[in-house]
Amino acid sequence: MNRVYLDWAASAPPEEAAVRELAEVSLRCFGNPSSPHGAGKEAARLLADARTRFARLIDAAPAEIIFTSGGTESNSSLLLSLLNRYRLGDSERRRARIVTSAVEHASIHDQALGLQSLGVSCTILKPRSNGIVDPQAVADALDNETVVVSVMLVNNETGAIQPIKGISQVVREFSTRTGRKIIFHTDAVQAFGKIAVSVKDLGVDAASFSAHKIGGPRGIGALYLRSGVAPGFLSTGGGQEAGRRPGTENVAGACAFAAAAEQRVGALADNHTSASALTERLVAGLKEIRGSRIFPESRAGRDAGSFSPYILSAGFPPLTGEIVVRVSDEQGFCIATGSACSTKKKDRTRVPESMGLDHSTALSAIRISIGPATTVSEIEGFLAMIREGIPHLLAISQGRPDNGGANARGRTNE
Amino acid sequence: MREPHTPNDGLFLIKYGEIALKKRNRGAFVKSLKESIRAHLPGLSFSVYEAWDRVYVGFSRPDQERIAEALGRTFGVVSFCEALRTSREMSAVEDAAVRLAGKFLTEGKGARFKAEVKRADKSFPLTSYEIACKIGDLLRSRFPELIVDVHTPDWVLTIEIREHAYLYGPQSPGPYGLPVGSSGKGVLLLSGGIDSPVAGWMMAKRGMALEAVYFHSPPFTSNNAREKVESLARILSRYAPGIALHVVNFTPVLARIKEKAKDEEVTLLLRACMMRFTTILATRRGGECLITGESLGQVASQTVESIHFTGMLSDLPVLRPLIGMNKEEIIAIARKIDTFETSNLPYEDCCVLFSPAHPLIHPDAHRMKRTYDCLSVDTLLDEALETAELVSF
Repeated sequence: MNRVYLDWAASAPPEEAAVRELAEVSLRCFGNPSSPHGAGKEAARLLADARTRFARLIDAAPAEIIFTSGGTESNSSLLLSLLNRYRLGDSERRRARIVTSAVEHASIHDQALGLQSLGVSCTILKPRSNGIVDPQAVADALDNETVVVSVMLVNNETGAIQPIKGISQVVREFSTRTGRKIIFHTDAVQAFGKIAVSVKDLGVDAASFSAHKIGGPRGIGALYLRSGVAPGFLSTGGGQEAGRRPGTENVAGACAFAAAAEQRVGALADNHTSASALTERLVAGLKEIRGSRIFPESRAGRDAGSFSPYILSAGFPPLTGEIVVRVSDEQGFCIATGSACSTKKKDRTRVPESMGLDHSTALSAIRISIGPATTVSEIEGFLAMIREGIPHLLAISQGRPDNGGANARGRTNE
Repeated sequence: MREPHTPNDGLFLIKYGEIALKKRNRGAFVKSLKESIRAHLPGLSFSVYEAWDRVYVGFSRPDQERIAEALGRTFGVVSFCEALRTSREMSAVEDAAVRLAGKFLTEGKGARFKAEVKRADKSFPLTSYEIACKIGDLLRSRFPELIVDVHTPDWVLTIEIREHAYLYGPQSPGPYGLPVGSSGKGVLLLSGGIDSPVAGWMMAKRGMALEAVYFHSPPFTSNNAREKVESLARILSRYAPGIALHVVNFTPVLARIKEKAKDEEVTLLLRACMMRFTTILATRRGGECLITGESLGQVASQTVESIHFTGMLSDLPVLRPLIGMNKEEIIAIARKIDTFETSNLPYEDCCVLFSPAHPLIHPDAHRMKRTYDCLSVDTLLDEALETAELVSF
């Protein structure tokens, strides 16, 4: 069966340039960058190059880039650093507060809750019904205990682009007024390579990145840390990454990440235009199908500019997203329910429910995510498959007369 | 009596208490037990024969562990152990006793022992007591470290004088019950839950051969859920070999119910359709009853009123071995028979979509029966029967 891949937000098909660079560097420059000999120096030089290449793409200085194993490590290592800074015990920790949103990836949200059980305070802000966090809500949540604010740039389930510039402004104003140092972090994993990301322009102190979401390899990502920001990381070891992330560096991975990043950022505007056209078609096509929902509905209207064209959340309540994913898969279309990263049941509906959807509607959410290689015919094929396969299942689940299509289809699927 | 020819590296002696009591049916039961032992060990070469109230399995050494493991799961077996068979010459019995005692000592079984003699053949010249004394004396002279202790021995050497002499030490417990197949055949409604595999196991324990039926509703239920049920049938087949699992597509039936019935009646009517279907299937397959995992009051469809209604759809006996058990008791058995972990996998066997928020708890059976009749699902059930898949374990 010809497979159509519409789950780019889970993991993107590899960029050929990245795979080539990964292979070449792995084969030729295998030295340890910490070694003083020629092979080590060569590896160190390539690593420095990769750092410079990547830093330039996000408007940062090379020294501000820490290579990590990916988005999850970048996110959680920053939060976990609080344990190092407030190690004096419970009473001290309770005076450290993380302000974050209910729509964050689990590596922020669940990590924050985990720290809460270790004594750190936590404020989790609900977004508005369109899935977007209000900067004013962040302003209201800031207090004399706040040490970290973390809000993601593009939501991995709905594609909502959060007003990071606005939030960084309110955080900065608060810092200036109170003299408190707050680290403002954004998870840019679903944003980088898809929308313009300049850490300077956004005004963030820290940002997380992942290679495999843009066609780079797994196991490599980055944490941007603005010069002068020193959270004091928890793990220690061989002093790599300026003492901030110990462990022998993934030189080939870093080079391949830089290669994928260069490809995507280079073609960002063109890719964005075609992705917007595809998503527009997708939304229009879905809307023609009886019983379909777009989450949030406003992304097709007044909030149109606030969503990444690479991620779309939709559904056919009360059909669960799981069923739609299964039916799609049987026909060769790879899509996701909510977030591919949450295998935990209770986490599956956290984001849509935080937007005010009832549990049954939240369970219906599917995620269609596309990339630069997605074609019009793939989108049309997907829409045709949905038109063919979903309405009668919806009829059954709503107790409307079944025209017999279900029986016929049930058998062909066996 | 059939003597073992090959293989005969060793011999298991099997005791089968409950069967021995059923004097007039004994022959049939022993035959069932022998067949059941064979069914547990497909593809293995060994001999099974009976003599004087005992069943014996002659095996080759490499298969010993596998056979012992299977005997531990064969219903009807009360206990079993490896035995030495000798002629009834006292010298041969003595040689065997010395060999066994030496083995037990090497294995570190302890020094306190007791010789116990069962003289099934009363014509044997020595009495049980005389044989025991003789063997005891002999072993003590041969192994000076041995101490006779008739009250708290570390091990007992049993000598049975039958058509031959049999000598053996400690025995392994069997699962008791009746050999599978000796009580007819039942069709089990197998879901992916905790209860139904336990119900199947309990009826197998009472000698019932099993077929199972699983209702799935693609695409509302996932293939994972089906694979889970297949795994459960495979585990059950370790106790009741040769389970046939019928996988039935119930989506059209589900659609009809959802279309015609009130929300609160959906679960009950679905259950009724399953009972009706299984009755038709059982009749066709030579099944004599239905087996369900129902436990009184556990869920809405398991109240006495609900059971009254769903039971009306079957003219075969419906066996509900868990009816008086608490969930904890059921779980304890599920753990013991190794189905719990599989049952606990998260795939739902029936989609949340079709579970009403407020199902009927105390339905009027006769009114529900009329509602059922209005569904006119007979044709759909026939179609489901025609398209059912059969998987054997």
